[in-house]
Amino acid sequence: MQTFKKSSLSMWKQELNSLIRGISGGFLFGIPLLYTMEVWWVGSSAKPPRLLIAIALTFTIVFLLNQTTGFRDTKDVRFRDAFMDSTRAIAIGLLCTSCVLVLFQEITFDTPLGEALGKLIYESVPFALGVALSNQFLKDNSDQNQEDRKKQQKSDRKKQLNGTIADVGATFVGSIIVGFSIAPTDEVPMLAASTSGPWLLLLILASLLISYAIVFAASFSNQTKRQQQQGIFQDPFSETVISYLVSLVAAALMLWFFNQLNLELPWSTWLRYTVIMGLPASVGGAAGRLAI
Amino acid sequence: MNTQSKKIQPQDLPKRSLAEWITFGIAVAILSTVIGLVSYVWLGKERQPPVLSITYEKTIRKVDGQFYVPFILINKGGETVESVRVYAELVINSDFKEQSEQEIDFLSSGEVQEGAFIFSKNPQEGKLKLKVESYKLP
Repeated sequence: MQTFKKSSLSMWKQELNSLIRGISGGFLFGIPLLYTMEVWWVGSSAKPPRLLIAIALTFTIVFLLNQTTGFRDTKDVRFRDAFMDSTRAIAIGLLCTSCVLVLFQEITFDTPLGEALGKLIYESVPFALGVALSNQFLKDNSDQNQEDRKKQQKSDRKKQLNGTIADVGATFVGSIIVGFSIAPTDEVPMLAASTSGPWLLLLILASLLISYAIVFAASFSNQTKRQQQQGIFQDPFSETVISYLVSLVAAALMLWFFNQLNLELPWSTWLRYTVIMGLPASVGGAAGRLAI
Repeated sequence: MNTQSKKIQPQDLPKRSLAEWITFGIAVAILSTVIGLVSYVWLGKERQPPVLSITYEKTIRKVDGQFYVPFILINKGGETVESVRVYAELVINSDFKEQSEQEIDFLSSGEVQEGAFIFSKNPQEGKLKLKVESYKLP
């Protein structure tokens, strides 16, 4: 009885792991387009036949990707496996993008059904591609490479790098890489104008959850290494929180650099803009920490 | 060496677990719901042309000597429209005329857009006319 319970638990754990890995890959790939209002608009005005074609095309591409990479540990050799995983990838895309669009208040109870579906389907295309590519992201090319890199990193760290500084640096650089294309756009002030306190709190929570999922829950190849990392970032929860703060600093700097924020603006504007930019920045920061 | 992967036969692969079948079932339900809703929209109002209507609210705000008249613009038709131009004209005792206009980027079927026209005199003392001037199809 206990063995059955154990195997059932491990089955669900494995499944959850695959799904979280897919979600993480989706966010890494899909986040820039989630912050692109043109995609919301194109989706809003797209006619239903075009939406159905978009779903069919996405399914085809995701199906092909699933046969080579995918988001599971196992390879989709059989047609049936690739079909099942493609359906899952698109459903993950639809579910996650709907959550983000609700958080951005781009989909509300007042949004007409056709518009909501258009936004959702167009935004879920890059997300689903990210899900199907998640094994490819940040994955070491070979065991040999991994071994070499580990040795290299060990000696490098001993010589010059403190683990904490390396983590802060990686988070910062990752935040900049992902956030730099979003920070100068009009989407940030636009989203900031329509948001309020509770939504910002939800956005902070979502940023923390996604960052945690990418680094600790998605079983990407470098996670074991992350858990061995030294410094104040040793604990997953404190690492997630501190990294989020680093990502917020990077977000604020990027916004200031692109003149979206200046010292004359009130602190509430700084807060709103920075929290909104904090989501892509924390996704980038998480990816950065996995990459080192 | 990758020769091992070539040797894998479909019958050697592990069977899908119950958890995988359950999540697949949920995924099928989500995808079918979305496809069903898109088809519903397609067969429903989509074929109707846009019908735009604008109304204003009686609750006029006065701030710093300016009068704010809130308006509501609705697309009651089926098709989405772009660049909707709305226009308001205030006439008081036929000797004072003030106009205000603005453009709404985007209005999909059933969408409601709110905004306000701003006048220097109290619209309640005269006659206020609101109209939708034009739009274009995306």
